Amino acid sequence: MNEAVAREAANEADEVRTVEDDNIDDMYLTFKVGDEDYGVVISVVTEIVGMQRIMGIPDVPAYIKGVINLRGKVIPLMDVRLRFNMPEREYDERTVVIVLDVGEAPMGLIVDRVSEVLEIPASQIDRTNNGPANSRRSVVSGLGRIDERVAILLDENLLVSDSDVSLAVEVDA
Amino acid sequence: MSTEPEVATDAPQASALMRVSSDKISRLMDLVGELSLSVSETVNSPELQGLELNSFDAAAHRLSMIVREVQDAATDLRLVSVDEVFKRLRRMIREMERETGKSINLVIEGGDTAIDKLVSDRLYDPLLHVLRNAADHGLEGPEEREANGKNRKGRITLGAAQVGSEVRIMVSDDGRGLNHERILKKAREKGLFGPDEVPEPAVLNKVIFEPGFSTAENVSKLSGRGVGMDVLNQTMKELRGRITVDSAEGKGTDVALHIPVSLAFLDCIILRLGSRMFAIPVDDIAEIVKPNSQDLVEISADSGAEMMRLRGAFVRVCRLEHFYEEDDSDLRPLSDMVTIVFKTTTGQIAVPVDEVLDRQQVVMKPMVGALANVRASWGCALLGTGEVAVVLDGERLSQGGAS
Repeated sequence: MNEAVAREAANEADEVRTVEDDNIDDMYLTFKVGDEDYGVVISVVTEIVGMQRIMGIPDVPAYIKGVINLRGKVIPLMDVRLRFNMPEREYDERTVVIVLDVGEAPMGLIVDRVSEVLEIPASQIDRTNNGPANSRRSVVSGLGRIDERVAILLDENLLVSDSDVSLAVEVDA
Repeated sequence: MSTEPEVATDAPQASALMRVSSDKISRLMDLVGELSLSVSETVNSPELQGLELNSFDAAAHRLSMIVREVQDAATDLRLVSVDEVFKRLRRMIREMERETGKSINLVIEGGDTAIDKLVSDRLYDPLLHVLRNAADHGLEGPEEREANGKNRKGRITLGAAQVGSEVRIMVSDDGRGLNHERILKKAREKGLFGPDEVPEPAVLNKVIFEPGFSTAENVSKLSGRGVGMDVLNQTMKELRGRITVDSAEGKGTDVALHIPVSLAFLDCIILRLGSRMFAIPVDDIAEIVKPNSQDLVEISADSGAEMMRLRGAFVRVCRLEHFYEEDDSDLRPLSDMVTIVFKTTTGQIAVPVDEVLDRQQVVMKPMVGALANVRASWGCALLGTGEVAVVLDGERLSQGGAS
């Protein structure tokens, strides 16, 4: 490879990265579950793939539907509807899997459809989990205001953990 | 781009050794694993079904054979002799002699046995604990030994041997042996057995490896705090190994660690139960049986437990639906199923499945994140078809659902 060209390409890539670094913490991937808009911070999203054949696994909570083999990586899939105690729905051609990498372990979220990547600065996010009655940490980290709409921003660490999230949804539903 | 070669080329002899970083070997192993999967995926592609492809089949067969050989060669790259660990342990013996006031003769056997470098790196700590246990609790003091007509110098044998696809590492002492009465008393205090329960000696021997269990009344600097055994258990679990203990009162104790030679690939039988796939290491299987209805007994007095007669003896049936506490309203009768009979240290168990599919060298993946709590499993197996199967651990299945 021509080294000068390579170096230039590397510099260019670096520049792009710096631009992204500035606001990547404010970038959210938004998706639909039922009528609600949800968002996860983009830095934990590794890829988005179409629905594929799920293989069942024993001894996991009901909302873990099984695993997929993504190019040799075994990824457990969480049905977000079941995780939030929403009615189950048959997967269709818009159903997608958002693959997250949280704490070194992968997790795929099955959602109704992905919407878009949005920049939501901290100033436009209302924190929801500081109410005095709410002693448990909520899986909802905040509500992002985007024009007229609201995106429910999720705490990815709590989302993929085993803890019960029913309360959080009741608060926001 | 150029990377510095890590290989010293100044010794061009045929048998020259190379130093290669373990990262490079790991990368190669990963790639070989992926290669093997892709080849299987290609060869077993559903689009080829029903086609007459004579020369393709022959070429595919040859390709699979070569991949198998590459896999073996890659596995071989990572094998080292256990002597490295044994030598480090030998150095500790002098310290143990000083701390216990006993004189110890350490005999090493089978130091040239080959083992996965990843395994060998993990063996030192657990083996040190087993050795310390033998030196501290197993061997008697010189006076007691003399009184019992033994050599004043205690003997500990540290041996290794390959048995099938397993390496067996033995720590044997010629000490006082396990005191079953004292172990049982202690185990009852800890609530491991009921007051009237009389466990088999083999079961009782294994109790000494229960977390937090230690019968030594005097906690010494070396051992007796029950912590070392936790390290041993944890490491053995991660290495997919088993521990067996054999002891004769007054004669000594043998502790054996059974560890797979390689961690990367595993020779498995692939099974289907309902919509799920399972894999079982070939070495754990005693036999595969299609039960006849006259050989099956259901015991209502024992909440419907099922037993299967196998060559005159009854074997406990362990349904995975029961083990995993799942919906069992729709179980198929055993006479319609195939049962896999596992060999375990507490006897045989029969696990019924719908279908036996194949025998394969599978690539193992650890269960992490949301899958970390799946019980009685060694990990996930990636199959040639691209499917994923849960690799079952018969030992923990036989111990029942309580985790």
